[in-house]
Formats: sequence, C-alpha cells, structure tokens
Amino acid sequence: MRARAAAAVGLLLACACTDSRSYAHATCVLVDVSGTYADQRDQVVRILRSGLLPTVRPGDSFTIIRIGDKSYDERAVEASVTFDSQPSRANAQKLALAGKLDRFAQSRAHAARYTDISGALLLAVDHLRETRAGRKSIVIFSDMKEELPPGSRRALGPGEFQGIDVIAMNVKRLAGDNLDPAGYRHRLGEWGSRLTRAGAASWKVVLEPEELAQQFARE
Amino acid sequence: MRSVYPWPDMPVLSLLVLWLITQVLLYAARVPIHRALRKMGTAVGGGLRMVARWLRSTADELRRRNREVLLAAGRLEAEAKLEREFPRLATTFTADLKQYPALHRRLDESVKRIEEDLKASSLTPPEAPGWPEAVQAVANMPKAGDRTVQKVLDEIHRSALASEKKALQEYREAMARRHKILAESASLWKVILGVLAQVNKAVTGALDASSRIDGYMEKYEKIRNGEDAAERLLGASALNLFVISLFVVSVAGFGGLVNFQLIARPMSELVPGGGYIFGMPISMIAALVIVLMEVVAGIFVMETLGVTHLFPRLGGLSPSRRRIVFVVALVGLALLAAIEASLAILREQLMEADKALALALAGEAVRGKETVAAPLLSRIPMLGQAVLGFILPWILAMIAVPLEMLVESGRHVIGRALALVIRGGGILFRLLGHGVRYLMAAVAHVYDIYIIVPLQLERLVRSHGAEGPAGGAAIRNPAERTGPVRVQR
Repeated sequence: MRARAAAAVGLLLACACTDSRSYAHATCVLVDVSGTYADQRDQVVRILRSGLLPTVRPGDSFTIIRIGDKSYDERAVEASVTFDSQPSRANAQKLALAGKLDRFAQSRAHAARYTDISGALLLAVDHLRETRAGRKSIVIFSDMKEELPPGSRRALGPGEFQGIDVIAMNVKRLAGDNLDPAGYRHRLGEWGSRLTRAGAASWKVVLEPEELAQQFARE
Repeated sequence: MRSVYPWPDMPVLSLLVLWLITQVLLYAARVPIHRALRKMGTAVGGGLRMVARWLRSTADELRRRNREVLLAAGRLEAEAKLEREFPRLATTFTADLKQYPALHRRLDESVKRIEEDLKASSLTPPEAPGWPEAVQAVANMPKAGDRTVQKVLDEIHRSALASEKKALQEYREAMARRHKILAESASLWKVILGVLAQVNKAVTGALDASSRIDGYMEKYEKIRNGEDAAERLLGASALNLFVISLFVVSVAGFGGLVNFQLIARPMSELVPGGGYIFGMPISMIAALVIVLMEVVAGIFVMETLGVTHLFPRLGGLSPSRRRIVFVVALVGLALLAAIEASLAILREQLMEADKALALALAGEAVRGKETVAAPLLSRIPMLGQAVLGFILPWILAMIAVPLEMLVESGRHVIGRALALVIRGGGILFRLLGHGVRYLMAAVAHVYDIYIIVPLQLERLVRSHGAEGPAGGAAIRNPAERTGPVRVQR
C-alpha cells in the first residue's frame, strides 16, 4: 500500500515537473521561383543543405514553399517534414529531404511570371501555427520584389506574424538596384516595417550562410 | 521651477517673495519640525539598533550552537578513536603479553640450561701429577750394569710413558666435551635473544598503544571540558577537512560531467521523445539519472562496507542484510558501468554517423569517405571511450567518502560563516542607526542655516528685551527651548 502511494506521488511529481512548453523549432523556407530569381535555385539548395539542415534538431519541423504566381496554395508546398524525436531517424529524414532539395534544384520547370511573396508568407504562417512549435521562423530566399497576379489581394493583418522570426536570405539585387541602391534598401525596409506591423518577432536580412546557421543554432 | 513663480515675468521678485514666504513658514514651523526630526532619528536609529542587537544575539546563539555541535562531534570522534584503540590495546595485551609467561618460562629454562652447561664445562679432569717428571727421571737414570735392573728400569720407563699418554688422552677428551657443551649453549643464547626480542616487541606495542590512548584521553578531556583550545583545534581541523573534501567532490563533479557527456548523446537514441523537464530534454535527464544512480550505488556500497556512516539505519542492519544490500549495490554498480561502456561505444558510432551526415549534406560524401580514418585508428577512441565509460562509475562511487566528510565539516564551516555574516549585518545596522541619527541632526542644522535671518532677528529682539526692566527673563526663545537635534549615543 505504502509502495503504491509512493509510486503515485512519484508519478504526480513527474507529471508536475514535465514542461508543457514546446521546445521544437518550426521553420518555413520560402523560395522564389519567379523569373528574376530562378537562376538562384542551386545556390538556395546549397545554403539549405549546408547551413540550415545541420542545425535542425529532432522534433523540429521544416517546410519548403515556392514563391510563384499564386503562392497561397497548398500546391506551393514543395516539402514538409516533422523530424522524428530519435536522432538517427531524424538524420535519415534529413538525408531524404536533402534528396528532395536536390531534385528541386535540378527541376527546370518554367519560371513563374509573378512573385506572390505575401501569399507564400500567409501560407507559411498557417503551416507554422499548425506545428504548435515553441519557436517559429520564416526564411525567405527572394529578391523581395513582389509582383502580384491581377485580382489578388494580400493583406498582412496585425498579429498575423505574432512570435515569428522572419529572415531574408540571399536577397538578389536587381538591375535597377545596381543603379540606385536606395531602391534595394527601401524595398527591404518596406518589408521589414510591413512584417513588424503584422506582429513579427524580428526581421533580419542575412547575407552570409554562416550567419544564418548561427542564427538557427542559437537558442 | 518657473511654474511656481507668482509672476513668471518677474523672476527676481518672484524668487524674493517665495524666499520670504518660506522664511516665515519655516521659522514658524521650526519647533515642531525639529521635534519631528529628533523623533524620527530616535525611532529609525533605535529600530536599527534593535535590529543590530537582535542580529548580534542571533550570531552569538548560532556561534554557541556551532560550538556545541563542534564539540559534540569532536567528542564523538575522540570516543570512536578511543573505542578503536582499546580493542587494539586489549589485543596487544591478550595476544602478545599473554605469551609472556611462556616466554618467561622458556627464558628461565634456557638460563638454567646455560648455567648447567657452564657448570658441566667447568668440571675438568685433574692433570696427571708429575708424570712427565717421573718419565724424565726414569729416562735420565744411568744405565745399570745389571741387565735385570736395566730391564726393570726400562719397564718402569715404558709404563710411565704409557700412563702419561693415557692421562693426556683423557685430558684431551675432557676438553673436547667442555667445548661441545659450550658450543651447544650458543644456540641457547640465540633462543634467549629471540625471546627477549619478542618481549620487547610486545612491551613496545603496549606502550605505544597506551601513549596513543593517553593523547586521545587528553584531547577528549579538553573537549569534554569545552576548552577554547579544543574548539580552535576542532574548528581548524573541520575547515581543512571541508576544503579538501570540497576539492575532491568538485573533481568528482567534473568526472561526473565527463561521464554525463559520454552517455548524453546515445541516451537520446534510447530515450526518444520530445518531452522536456525544466527546459532539459528527457533523454538528458535520463543520462543524468544514470550518473546519479552510480553515485547512489557507490554510497550504498561504501555504507554497507562500513567506510561511511551517512545512513545510520543501514549501519544498524544485521550483517546478513547488510551483505544483501552490499551485493545488490555492487551488482547495480557493475551493471551501470557495463551499460555506460556500451553507451560509450554507441556514442562513437553515432558521432561518426553524424559526421558522415554533415559531409553528405554539405555535398562532400565522396571526399568524406576518403577522409575517414583507417579502421584500426578509428577503434582506438571507441575503445578508450568504452574503458572510460566502465571506469568512471567506479571512480564516482568513491565520492561517498569525501561527500560524508563534506557534509560533516560543512555543517560547522557554513554555520560559522553564517554567524560571521549575521554579525557583520549587525555591525552594519548599528552603523546605519548612528548614521540616521547624525543625518537627522545635520538636517536640523541645515534647516536652521536656511532660516538664519529670522533667527538672528529673534536674537536681536531677545537681547533688547533682556536689557529692559522687566524684560526678557519672561520671554523665552522657542528655538533655544527646542535647541538643535542632539545625537544621543
């Protein structure tokens, strides 16, 4: 009887001590496949393979979404994986995802005419919310020049990006940016203020892949 | 500031009016304000002094209790030493000195035998009297002409020679017997020397034990009488013990950390799951639990061996039950060590797999394969980790001894440090109390300095009034009545 009581107390204590907080990290990577950025696919896959995937931990989730004509569509999801909590299985999933990324890099589907960044962002938010992860991040590989298809309406509501870190990586400079860098800076600043208004936890532009890896490795 | 000016356009006039108003008001309120300052100084300073007194008495009480605990611990230790020494002394007396009568008898017998041998060797056969002279006299006698006489003389000479030879032979035999007796008695001397050495050893052992007991008794007496010297000695000893045991426990803690690192990665394979406790993954907690279980098993082993006395109930178990606990703890420790060794091997394999994955993700799989070390070399760290994984639990098991020392000495050292901190706090509060009183007095003086003009005017009026006929004896200066705030010591 006493042993049972002790076991019950132990179980209660263990349950009480168990942390209900989620420590998983959900990442959504948005890759621009529009005409101006289509040549960057190899570079993007290289950064994802060597910079991001090694930092992913068991239990984390990883989604890749294409930024194209109409990105607020499930068909824009290139891959979505929630890694197993067992490290060796998670490693196998990483290898499989790396294979998918390679195929994505090699696929020479025709480039999209429009660049629906907001739609991809909203889709990423939906996916991130579904994961219920403790830490949520969006990494955007694009030139950050949005060109919405006719008839599309994209509004980032306040609080939409609550608790989400947004990083713009490998932002390609357009031909006009070379003539007038202010345009490039204005574009990025505009996105930063839009996302911050929408409740994003942070907005950062990263140039080096190592810096991106450090950002993700940091807890 | 300008907002309080009555006429913001005329700051000088405004300031003058404000100054005048404050002079009048503060002069009027001087007495109650001085009284309030004095009361405040007394109340706050007194309160702080009370706190300081309470802290001091608490520190004294703590110190007294520490002293009692220290002396009690010292007394127990001295009693334990005496308890250990008395059986040793009893053993010395029973085992060594018990043989003393037998040794004495052997010594006595040996001495008697030596005496007898000496006596026997002193009994020499008498030398044949005058035989050589008689033979010489017979030999020197002139040859007689008579052949019969001559024959008789020759016969006498021959028999004298034979008698001399026989006597010499007997003498030599007697001497040989004496030498033999003396030679045999030499072994008896050796026996005596051996017996004496044994006696010396037994007596020296007894004397050493008794002198040790004398020392312990002297220390025990000092502790029992609660002498300051004994307290100082015990305090210094406890501090030394605390520092040494803290160092050893810290080293063992680092060993535990290495141990933990060795099994943390493979445990994530064995205990998967996304659960966290206080921000730590459950797999890491499982690894930590294994390390702590090794420590616990070690404590039980040491406890049942009688090396430590952390759990009095374990010490009070019957020998058979203690043996069961000992075997269970030892087997548990061995199992944990074996598990850890296997986990260490698994760790190495997992690390290699992680490295290969990193290379594959970086697109360097082919180059990665080429750079993999030769199999023989790659097994060396694996074997090293396995050996480390097996040995570390046994080393961690030894932590029980310094841990017990740390607990015992820590009680005194921490208590003493706490008493010092409380005493320091008491001094600080006392100083603060004095500071508050002096501060109140200083504020009262500053107050008086600010209203120096009305005060001087009042003095002038008073001095004129005092010169009048019925004057100023009746008018009393309210300022002087209250006076400045004085600091009460």
